Amino acid sequence: MATDDSSGIMAVQGLVGPEIAASRITPGCNGEYYLHVGETEFGPLVTSLALHKCALIGLFCTEGFVSASRFSLLYVFEYKATVLILVRNTGGVATSVARLLPSASWFERECRDGFGIEFDGAFDERRLFLHETYPEGFHPLLKSVRNEPVAMRSAVDPAEEYPFRKVTGVGIYQVPVGPVHAGIIEPGHFRFSVIGEKIFNLEIRMFYKHRGIEKLAEGKRPQEVVHIAEAVSGDETVANATAYCCAVEKCTGTAVPDRAWYLRTILLELERIGSHLGDQAGMLIDIAFPLGANQFAVIREDVFRMNALLTGSRFMRGMVEIGGLSKDIRKEQLEELGTFVRQARKRYRVGLKIVLSTSSVLDRFAPTGIIRKSLLRPLNITGPAARASGGRVDVRVTHPYGIYDRCVPAPKPLHDGDVLSRFTVKASEILDSLDMIERLLASMPDGPVKTEPVVKDGYTLALVESARGQNLCWVWIRNGVVERYKIRTASFCNWQAIEHALQGEIVPDFPLINKSLNLSYAGTDL
Amino acid sequence: MTFSFIFYLIINTVAVLAIAPLFMSIIKKVKAWTQGRRGPSVFQTYFNLAKLLKKEVIYSSHSSWIMRVTPLVNIAAILVAALFVPLVFVPEPVGGIGNIILLLYLLALAKFFMALAGLDAGSSFGGMGSSREMSISAIIEPTTIIVFAALVFVFKTLNVFEMFITSAATGTPATPTLILLAISLFIILIVETSRIPVDNPETHLELTMIHEGMVLEQSGSNLALMELSSAVKLTLLMALIINLIVPFGLATSLTLGTIVVAAVMFALKGTILAGIIGLFESSMSKMRFFRLPSLFAMAFFFSTLIIIIEVFA
Repeated sequence: MATDDSSGIMAVQGLVGPEIAASRITPGCNGEYYLHVGETEFGPLVTSLALHKCALIGLFCTEGFVSASRFSLLYVFEYKATVLILVRNTGGVATSVARLLPSASWFERECRDGFGIEFDGAFDERRLFLHETYPEGFHPLLKSVRNEPVAMRSAVDPAEEYPFRKVTGVGIYQVPVGPVHAGIIEPGHFRFSVIGEKIFNLEIRMFYKHRGIEKLAEGKRPQEVVHIAEAVSGDETVANATAYCCAVEKCTGTAVPDRAWYLRTILLELERIGSHLGDQAGMLIDIAFPLGANQFAVIREDVFRMNALLTGSRFMRGMVEIGGLSKDIRKEQLEELGTFVRQARKRYRVGLKIVLSTSSVLDRFAPTGIIRKSLLRPLNITGPAARASGGRVDVRVTHPYGIYDRCVPAPKPLHDGDVLSRFTVKASEILDSLDMIERLLASMPDGPVKTEPVVKDGYTLALVESARGQNLCWVWIRNGVVERYKIRTASFCNWQAIEHALQGEIVPDFPLINKSLNLSYAGTDL
Repeated sequence: MTFSFIFYLIINTVAVLAIAPLFMSIIKKVKAWTQGRRGPSVFQTYFNLAKLLKKEVIYSSHSSWIMRVTPLVNIAAILVAALFVPLVFVPEPVGGIGNIILLLYLLALAKFFMALAGLDAGSSFGGMGSSREMSISAIIEPTTIIVFAALVFVFKTLNVFEMFITSAATGTPATPTLILLAISLFIILIVETSRIPVDNPETHLELTMIHEGMVLEQSGSNLALMELSSAVKLTLLMALIINLIVPFGLATSLTLGTIVVAAVMFALKGTILAGIIGLFESSMSKMRFFRLPSLFAMAFFFSTLIIIIEVFA
């Protein structure tokens, strides 16, 4: 994010226009900017931001943020390196911006379920994460709601059942798939409207296992919430813990030692490598090419074993803490990691060669499941999925955290936006990450790995590039405990891309396209 | 009906039931090896069938008598079809047994009931599987007919037994065109037994299933019968290829010595062919559904070529 306040404020001023006095733009702890807006100026301001090609990367509600109003809606806009948060106060009813900024649709529905905020003029007013079995009027994120089991409705009136978009016409029929699937995967419902094998429309419904993570974090000491952040999504453990810790460290002014950041970066990149390898193996399994899949699955298993050796946990749990790391990694173990990286690179290249020289694989990968570039900003699609469609979005580059400003390679976007591009982008990212780990190991500084944090009240936003894309985390500490913990993983936005990627494709290609996007159910359903 | 023919009926049925699960396992084993895995034991398919036979059958509340008779019709049709293709011993043909056209339609009968059962339970995946299987069948049928017609042209007979006797007499392929024909037969085997690149027998992805989709609602001993019948179908198609292309060792007279030699030879040749199928499956991914006709076209091309060669030779 912008380092210098005055130049940052000028950048924000350029986006919001001269009508807003520069003195009203206040810098946050982590380089983001806050602007409190009145209801009359909000509409024109959002229109102007949309015209300036700002992406709405987050929208969430919080209670009691300002004394004048019960709820505040925080609209997080991103334009290149600038992050601007519009704070809009509301009593419970607000106008929708979803027609202007489509990524707002799911955000607004999320606010509606969590806080009971009604959005006027929204094109989609269905429930999102609270399904119809939750009682009407139940809004768990309100401070007045105690965190305890709720009485679910045992029977739901058919009139209240979730209305899927109806596609009608000659020869069109609906194929409902899920939420229970044949494999060991998480629950999600897919409603296909097909003509023969051709997909006319796909509608997804997620949120079958809501865990109440945001509510759970409230009232806890900042240190305790690290473990909650780790549990958001298993294979984004380090990314989400880092995002949370970054936010708290910036709030409290805790300086993280260099060695801790070097090690954190290694763990973040190992996590990315593991995730990408899993995707690549999965994509090949889905087209029935297990010979190629196993090349990657074996290396992935070795990455997990390496994780366990370095941290004591295959998913690297319990490592990242506020102020640094919970423990140091010994020199011999780092040397072993260096050897592993060199071998893994060689083996990975062999596997890649086998796969990319098999014509039947290429025939299935290209040009399947195309995501058009024009969808990226409106839906805030990020990560490898965006980089395969020509998007130059990578939090490590645009908003570097920790030591990423020193070590990250420039994104190498591809432009076809199909499964093959996503496969290739992931391949080049794996190789980049391996190189990066090697460089970090070579220049690893000595020193402590943790600074004891001093808990201080405050709030800030942190962005982290997980394997799936941009993860956003907003933390507000009040009276020494977490007052609001908001996390939005990349999957939350990227899920909506699949509805577009599937149009005109055939049903048997769905698993492949789904796997190529590698979306997390748990990361979406908090 | 002679004694040797009755003996044939018994020995062929026993042999095909005994060895079919083994060939299934060998294919799996070879595939596992290519992936660098150890793979399940070669007896795993027997264990699976034994386990399934002990399990209870559960019917969907939407299903009708189709679901109940299909496993029986299926195994019956396939076992009768297996009688048309001698594995180790070829007697003098009796009646219509061995007629290649009848063989084709016995296989079609089994497939027809399987597709009906796929629709019967009312699940969307069963219907999808049936619809795909029927589309593929409709496209592959002309190809199969042409391949079998080429066989008939080469051997100048409609009877599989007589074809086998002719080829067993020479011990090597009766005419060079048979080697070309083997390619077509191999493609038909891949399609008919739902293997990669047409279908993936090991998938858990309902949306991509063809054969597996149709048997998704089968359970317990019914599922065992369905799996056994696909194993037998694989074995009889393999036997057709083996005994036409590499017939040496095939017994045409009834003595203990020749039968034992023939059985051992068949098991060996079958193991090698199963290995080839496993390697073939490992070498490529599944094809895009609508590209499948190009695979069938290859079989069609070779068999048409054979007919032209045979006519003008």
